Amino acid sequence: MDNTNIVEFHNVTFCYDADEGEQQPEPAIRDFTFNVKKGEFVAVLGHNGSGKSTVAKLSNSILIPNEGKVLVKGMDTADEDLSYEIRKTVGVVFQNPDNQIVASIVEEDVAFGPENLGLPREEIRKRVDDSLKAVGMYEYRHHEPHKLSGGQKQRVAIAGIIAMRPECIFLDEPTAMLDPKGRKEVMDTVIKLNKEYGMSVVFITHFMEEAVLADRVAVIDNSRLLLEGTPKEVFKQEDLLRSVGLDIPQITNLAREMKKSGVKVDDSVLTLNEFVENITALLGDK
Amino acid sequence: MIKDITIGQYFPGTSPIHKLDPRMKIVLTFIYIIFIFLCRNFVAMGAMALLLLATVLMSKISPKLIWKSVKPIFLIVLITSALQLLYNSDGTVLFEWKRLHITTGGVYMAIFTTARIVVLVIASSMLTYTTSPTLLTDAIERLFSPLKVIKINVHSIAMMMTIALRFIPTLIDEVDKIMSAQKSRGADFETGSLIKRGKAMIPIFIPLFINSFRRAYELAFAMDCRCYQGGDGRTRLKVMKLAARDYASLGILVLFCVGIIVSNHYLTAVI
Repeated sequence: MDNTNIVEFHNVTFCYDADEGEQQPEPAIRDFTFNVKKGEFVAVLGHNGSGKSTVAKLSNSILIPNEGKVLVKGMDTADEDLSYEIRKTVGVVFQNPDNQIVASIVEEDVAFGPENLGLPREEIRKRVDDSLKAVGMYEYRHHEPHKLSGGQKQRVAIAGIIAMRPECIFLDEPTAMLDPKGRKEVMDTVIKLNKEYGMSVVFITHFMEEAVLADRVAVIDNSRLLLEGTPKEVFKQEDLLRSVGLDIPQITNLAREMKKSGVKVDDSVLTLNEFVENITALLGDK
Repeated sequence: MIKDITIGQYFPGTSPIHKLDPRMKIVLTFIYIIFIFLCRNFVAMGAMALLLLATVLMSKISPKLIWKSVKPIFLIVLITSALQLLYNSDGTVLFEWKRLHITTGGVYMAIFTTARIVVLVIASSMLTYTTSPTLLTDAIERLFSPLKVIKINVHSIAMMMTIALRFIPTLIDEVDKIMSAQKSRGADFETGSLIKRGKAMIPIFIPLFINSFRRAYELAFAMDCRCYQGGDGRTRLKVMKLAARDYASLGILVLFCVGIIVSNHYLTAVI
């Protein structure tokens, strides 16, 4: 991970258009400053209506900030002439895979982005195959998307974005509509993209268990950036998180309860593996 | 029940018919349909029917599916042939009862029009049965691309067709879900007069429409994210190329068409 920023939010405020006659609505995002570095995996946490989805749409000039600036590799998203280059650099995957798939055959859908970029045929073929292999959907390339499971569809949608070879990918609650199995499939894919392909990932979610896997966690509440730090730093602040309707991972909660009742377990564990290691070490000591 | 809808149904396969260039298939079907209307005698119609039969056999599409495509027009066929029987008074009288005459001319006409309609329907369903919807819209886009000259945006039309086809199964699923939701709250779609049943459909279609607009909105975002800027500068994953079999099939059809024109000259016309 080097220190160049791919996406920079500078004091961004954004309001959805007010209907006529209504009073000016509350901004969806307010005075928001946030950076995404190259190769980084950031989780953005927040409960429904906190403004976290707006962040994804602001990142590749689908929405333009009312105040402040969003820069993608130095390009201002407010400049319409740059939106093509910006969208090549930052891809966004949305919540509902059904509403992101354009074509009736998996490989044709993945080809949609590269086709729009006007790439030569051989290059499109290569990118489609590579992307489908990266998300583990290559065997399904001739299938019809509507016959796939939710997790598979979402992986196709991700393949459609990574076929454009973006440097950074924003995922807006990609697991919200999926069952636990589908959630795991998508999560594994995203981690692979980050670790093996070095893609910057911004993962917007309200599942704590997903956020702990990130390098850095940002918590948004009531349109503002509330907290930012490593998962350990963020989930230490249990009371603050609870006060804004968020939770800490179940396993952390368990460790804390155990510590309260006198077990000498480390209560900053965030994943099951960490917890197991910790407990085994404790038992081994005895 | 809703899942029975067969619009644009496609049955994947690897037969020579499946492999024909979709553009050629559209052109062939078009020529075939025109010449079905130019057939004026049984020999010509028989030859064209045999040609279609050969195509069906080569495509390995099951006869059941062919029957499925013809079934919906059964009533139309029945009515047209009945009208031909009753009102045609050419040829010798076969059967007479009060003011009702059934003549040989009527019988010939009834058989001829039935054959014509059935052949038409089978021919056009063969096109959709053996060509994937995406290839079909692609082919339409390419075939009609000269229309750009008169400022018709062929790409947009093809894109709309692609999206419509893509969303048919999604919306069918959605109707099923909404119907189940309404039924579980006591809605009744099966009993009552036609008007009552029609009214019961309103609570299905309103959420369906609202959801469709929401879907369209989200899809537009997703397409923007993937740098969609219309047809200009777009390249394609799949390139269409005419092969020997495409020229061969065109040759065969042209041969049959010439035969029809010749037979119209020498044989007595039924129609």
